[in-house]
Amino acid sequence: MAFNLRNLSFSRQILPVIAIVALLLAAIFIVSGLPDRTLSEPERDPPRAPEELADAPRVAGSGVVEPSSELIQIGSALSGLITGLYVQPGDRVTQGQLLFTVDDRAARAGLREAEAAIGEARAAIAEAQTARSTALRQLDLYRGVDDPAAVSRSEVIRAEGEASAAGERLSLARARLEAAQARAASARTEIGRLSIRAPIAGEILAVNIRKGEYVSTMGGGGSQPFIEMGQTQPLFVRIDIDEEQAARLKLGAPATVSPRGASDRQVQARFVRAEPLVVPKRSLTNSAAERVDVRVLQVLYALPDANSEEERLFRVGQQVDAYIPAVKAR
Amino acid sequence: MIWIAIRMLTGDAQKFYGLVFGIAFSTLLITQQLTIFVNLIERGASGVYNVSSADVWVMDPVSRTTDVAYAMPSTALDKVRGVPGVEWAVPHLRAQASVRTKDGDLEGVAVIGVDDATLIGLPKAMVEGSPDVLSQPDSVIIDDVGTTRMFPDQSPIGERLELNDQRAVVRGIADAIPSFTSTVVLYTKYSRALNFVPGTRNRLSFVLVGAEDPAQAKALSERIERETGLKAQTRDEFARDGVQFIIENTGIPLNFGITVALGFIVGVAIVGLTFSLFIRDNIKQFGALKAIGVTNRKIRRMVIAQAGLVGITGYGLGVLGTIAFIWSFSANPTFKGFYIPWQIPLISLAAVALILALTGWLALRNVLKTEPAAVFR
Repeated sequence: MAFNLRNLSFSRQILPVIAIVALLLAAIFIVSGLPDRTLSEPERDPPRAPEELADAPRVAGSGVVEPSSELIQIGSALSGLITGLYVQPGDRVTQGQLLFTVDDRAARAGLREAEAAIGEARAAIAEAQTARSTALRQLDLYRGVDDPAAVSRSEVIRAEGEASAAGERLSLARARLEAAQARAASARTEIGRLSIRAPIAGEILAVNIRKGEYVSTMGGGGSQPFIEMGQTQPLFVRIDIDEEQAARLKLGAPATVSPRGASDRQVQARFVRAEPLVVPKRSLTNSAAERVDVRVLQVLYALPDANSEEERLFRVGQQVDAYIPAVKAR
Repeated sequence: MIWIAIRMLTGDAQKFYGLVFGIAFSTLLITQQLTIFVNLIERGASGVYNVSSADVWVMDPVSRTTDVAYAMPSTALDKVRGVPGVEWAVPHLRAQASVRTKDGDLEGVAVIGVDDATLIGLPKAMVEGSPDVLSQPDSVIIDDVGTTRMFPDQSPIGERLELNDQRAVVRGIADAIPSFTSTVVLYTKYSRALNFVPGTRNRLSFVLVGAEDPAQAKALSERIERETGLKAQTRDEFARDGVQFIIENTGIPLNFGITVALGFIVGVAIVGLTFSLFIRDNIKQFGALKAIGVTNRKIRRMVIAQAGLVGITGYGLGVLGTIAFIWSFSANPTFKGFYIPWQIPLISLAAVALILALTGWLALRNVLKTEPAAVFR
């Protein structure tokens, strides 16, 4: 049956061809239109359990980096204006190093007053001593006279009285000196208390005061601590472990810790201690009013020291994810 | 011989087109309705499919779907991380919130909080912007269907919203399959989502888990359930849960079932009537063929060829109609992500074959009984 254009029939030839083309089109459309539901690898690395714990029993926890001394919030014993600020964040300080001074003019004035009083008291002592020696010599003179008629009885009594009064004046002057010295010492103490010094060696982490500001013993504005410092060599991490998991925890084993956002850089942290007190979970949710019903065991681990500032991976207050080996479930 | 059958079939154009139309129409009805049905109920699983990297979803034992979820305490994340076989686990928050737009309108939105560090939980693709915009303060990413609802005829980039007294700035558009209710979806970081959603005691809706061996996801989900007491579903299971929830809670399956049945009945009625009429009209011809010695077997083959031509033509046109329908509506946000599952054309092909077999068999009975003498009647 040769192909003949005149014999070409719409219903017999063209329509079935259209139908078959349509079916092919449909197959292409359907195959290309199928939704992409394949699983994909996450683009950024999420925290993963370390190799050696991948198939072993383990406990995971999240925590916060803190100084090994814990965070020290430096306060001031006395209130007043800040006249000198000698540290800035990041400084390393030694124990007893001056951090800031509070206005000490009043205390210094008190000290000068006390010193003047000391001088005055010393002068009074000298004067009293002279008076006493004069009176004693007078008395000796009277007592040395053998002839009773030569000196009247009343003269002798007066001389005796003068001698003892001069002695009393001397002890009074000595007492004044002591009082003035005590006042000077207390003024010096006051001046010492107006210079705030580092309680331990460590790193200054935050300075929330500036020269000229008023610090009150009731705490700073917005109850911010004046200066926050702590020993950052080494750093500790405080890992929260759900109380239900706490029993499985292998205490003493090192933890694998990674900071948030750099989960590929895991470090081994040495076990320090588990806090004896199980506390309500302070959720790191940034929410102001945190209501809790989960309690957590807090375990401290020491982070290895960073070799240089560039390699510094952990900073105080940073959130971390940790994996800790667990004891085998019975 | 087959050619004669085809000529016989197309000789009466009216009947032929009637047959083709009948098949095409029922194919269209069955395929198109089944497609819309499957796509609609799969909207229940869109929340699961939009997250492309999680093998297992962990949730509170009472949670049912991505939208019907009860929050867990935040330590659930660490519990899941402690299960061997879990390669990674990240928090995932899903909650409803009300948003105030610049005009002061109130709009219900779904807030999805994805892991801060890895952004796991975002849809795979973006229409505009990159996922990194979430690192800017107060930013959210809106889904593309939400854009058409909340910001018709304008770009949402840079728009400010008010969520739970907090400022939110739209900085990106995600390419996501909308949910069943087409709620506007705002993606943001987990920590920020906590501020956007009014505070309840527990916030963590889901923990998304990556399995060390994705092929063993089922076993892993069982282990997570055993060790943590939480409910763990693999991705496919959880998607099925979402679909199941819609089937149980809406009248959709019944509605669409009725339409599909109607398509089948219409097909049987039109094709059956026309085909048997056609056979009856041509009974003389068949008689003549028998008279010149054509066997019943040959005649059977002829009828099969006729049915096959009608079937292929009608079915092809019907499927073409469905594709044209889906294609022409693909730009409509309501139909976003609609696709034709490959099983559905096969189902309608089976239905067409069934219709033709049924009517052909009924018609053939008369032909086979025909005496060659019928040609003289």
